[in-house]
Amino acid sequence: MAEKRPDRWLGPGHHREFWDWCDKGELRLQRCGGCGGISWPVVNACEFCGSEELSWEPMSGRGTIVSWSTFERDYYRGLLPIPWDTILVELEEGPLFLSNPKGFTWQDITIGMPVKLAFIPCEDSAGEYSLPVFEKA
Amino acid sequence: MSYGSIMNMPPPSREMSRKAAIVGLGETDYHLDYLAERAKAPGYESPTVEGLCTKAFERALADSGLKREDIDGLALSFTFGGPPPEEMAGLLGLNPRYCIANGNIMAGPLPVVCADIAAGKADTVAMVFCVASRTIGRDFGGSDEFSGEGVPTSYYYYHPWGWSSQAAHWAMIFSHYQATYGATEEDLGSVAMQLRKNTETNPNAVMQKPMSLEDYMGSRYIVRPLHLFDICLVNDGAVCLIVSRADKAKDMPHKPVEVAGWGESKIKHSKLHTMVRERLRPQFQDAGRQALEMAGVSLSDVQHFEGYDASTMHLINHIEGHGFVEPGAGLEFCKAGEMAVGGKLPTNTWGGNVSGSYMQGWAHIAEVVRQLRHEADGRQIKDVEVSMSSLAQTDQVHPLVFVRGD
Repeated sequence: MAEKRPDRWLGPGHHREFWDWCDKGELRLQRCGGCGGISWPVVNACEFCGSEELSWEPMSGRGTIVSWSTFERDYYRGLLPIPWDTILVELEEGPLFLSNPKGFTWQDITIGMPVKLAFIPCEDSAGEYSLPVFEKA
Repeated sequence: MSYGSIMNMPPPSREMSRKAAIVGLGETDYHLDYLAERAKAPGYESPTVEGLCTKAFERALADSGLKREDIDGLALSFTFGGPPPEEMAGLLGLNPRYCIANGNIMAGPLPVVCADIAAGKADTVAMVFCVASRTIGRDFGGSDEFSGEGVPTSYYYYHPWGWSSQAAHWAMIFSHYQATYGATEEDLGSVAMQLRKNTETNPNAVMQKPMSLEDYMGSRYIVRPLHLFDICLVNDGAVCLIVSRADKAKDMPHKPVEVAGWGESKIKHSKLHTMVRERLRPQFQDAGRQALEMAGVSLSDVQHFEGYDASTMHLINHIEGHGFVEPGAGLEFCKAGEMAVGGKLPTNTWGGNVSGSYMQGWAHIAEVVRQLRHEADGRQIKDVEVSMSSLAQTDQVHPLVFVRGD
């Protein structure tokens, strides 16, 4: 059963590829062929050096929790259950990836704890898709 | 809706320093207007941008001692819309040769006007800011948040993970800060309590009720670990600053408040890392150095600080980022009373965005004007000559330095 989520940004420059890879069960981010930096969220040019030589590189899915925040205010007007947990994960490859915990809550979090990638079926007004989240490693 | 912030801020330079000064100040009745909006008594009418601007302008004009015909410039800053400049000029009874719409959130608009005055485009400019975020029911989070060209991706890209709002940015920062420095919610509450205490001497502050630590801890969470009392207000109002050529300003009724320096620095990459782990310190350092060098003063000369307190946590980012204290020492600094009048760095002495009024940085400048004129009554900082203000959004920093004129 797909979870209803607020709409993804699918406007100009969103890069359909990111979500297509998620649907195949892979987390891929853009690595620069010039400087090697990994940009996130999606870019049209490398956020470090401006090069447009970008390729979609698979991430290992391993990371650690850098921070968290939990919504008690219902900004999405009933779409999501409150309280709503979010985490900031440092991927093994470097980028910080904002996501949700799967199978644990903010009370279980210690900063630095290891997590691993999982995908959950979700749905927004553009249809069903796979969303990358993180569970305890 | 645009994420307008800074419109072509002129590069800082010694030549531009102290070329223009604030000579008139007007604000609307934040406290009374807030009470009226909450009460919504029969016959209550929501404020309009036109009405709020007119009130602030008339008060600034009277304060400056100038006549309408002395005002040859008008610069308007509206966050959520308003009439075009020519139409507003007509409403205010002005016929300016310089008439522009000029961004919204302070700091950007002031350096633009100072540079234009220095370039001879106008001698005396009325700068009018208005925001009616309460009347329009603005929520500052959720799917209606800003998106599109020029907007930081953190404002809209994380919707599928249910993450948005400025409050969430500061919450992510504080969770990390807590783990890094061992800070507690009670520690952060000291900032909320200090800002509320500052309103004791400011009858125009929206929030007047004293706040205890129990009140703070008992206030509901918005985004954990931040409470309601950590987050800026949402209220309506307008601010008018009349800015004139520094040489003309010397002959006016009040001590001129000279615009001495400005700076600008933006995060270029790794935004979440820079925001959460570094708390924008590289940007604070870079922009602060620009503004202080332009003004020809050093950080230790700053006797009064006005930081853009979108949240209590963010005010600590300013204090630590500019280097008034070391990273991690900000909350102890506040708890020791050093941010109060009489402390080492009196900060947001009128209550700030959190307890005073959410005028998006403009009311912070109003307090700079009162302090540097030595007209701040019960909260006057003794012999203050140099004030620094600082805007920091989630990805950029814009400080201003002001000096008391001759």
